[in-house]
Amino acid sequence: MSLLLATTDASSKLHALQTQFGIEGKYLLMQVISFSILAFVLYRFFFKPVLATVDDRTRKIDAGLKYAEEMKAQLASTQQQTEAALKEAQQKAQVIVAEAQKASKEFSDKQQKEAIERSASLIAKAQEAIELEKKKMLAEARTEIARLVVATTERVLAKKLTDADRAGYNESAARELAGV
Amino acid sequence: MAAAAKQIQLLARQLFKLSVVDGVVSPDRVAGVLQYIEKSAPAHSVLALKAYRRLIATELAKCEALVEHAGAVTAPALGAIATSMTKKYGRTITTTTRANPKLLAGLRVRVGDDIYESSVSSQLATLSVSV
Repeated sequence: MSLLLATTDASSKLHALQTQFGIEGKYLLMQVISFSILAFVLYRFFFKPVLATVDDRTRKIDAGLKYAEEMKAQLASTQQQTEAALKEAQQKAQVIVAEAQKASKEFSDKQQKEAIERSASLIAKAQEAIELEKKKMLAEARTEIARLVVATTERVLAKKLTDADRAGYNESAARELAGV
Repeated sequence: MAAAAKQIQLLARQLFKLSVVDGVVSPDRVAGVLQYIEKSAPAHSVLALKAYRRLIATELAKCEALVEHAGAVTAPALGAIATSMTKKYGRTITTTTRANPKLLAGLRVRVGDDIYESSVSSQLATLSVSV
């Protein structure tokens, strides 16, 4: 009974409220329908293109950011490759410089050795030539002295030998030749 | 040309063989050869005579010892040399002399191409070479 009384009380309060605020059910329904139509139109012709544009720009921004990230990564990779290439080139350059220095030293040593050998050979040849010249001079001097001695002896003998000496020598020579 | 020269040499050798008797050039044979050539007058007789003369001169030089000397040389010494050379070469060698003051003293004997020398000049030359 009390419950029935309470329900009746609530319904009377709602009716009083509707009456007091001027709420009409048919107007409320019409407003809901017009709002739905407005919401549909707004969604269909305003929010959807805007959202599509926003989504497109968002995708472009994401792609740009992604591209920037890729570029950044590629740049880092390129820098690493460049650094590696530079390091490798530097190492190769050091190797080449070391080889060049080694080859230069070897060439210099070889040239120095050849120069020493050439100078030694020249000195030996010069000494040999001097020795030969000395021997030649001595031989020439000896020959000249012998020629002078023989010429002087011949002149002296031609003057000093008498006919008797020559005859005696001839007899001796005849005996020698007869014994051949 | 070559055949003619060969023929001339052959004729000269034949005439030379006819001129030698017992290894010695015979004057009579040489005279006979000359008469034959004068009478028969073979081809190229002048060239043949020149070749014949060269052969005879060579043979006579082989039989002659030219003794060059400085100072007097006695006949016995020359005889001893002739005897020695005759014995050495196996043919009669005669000696001819020629003075050569350049020897100073001593003798030089030439038989054909062989030379034997015992002189002061040769000893001095040997001394000059050996010094």
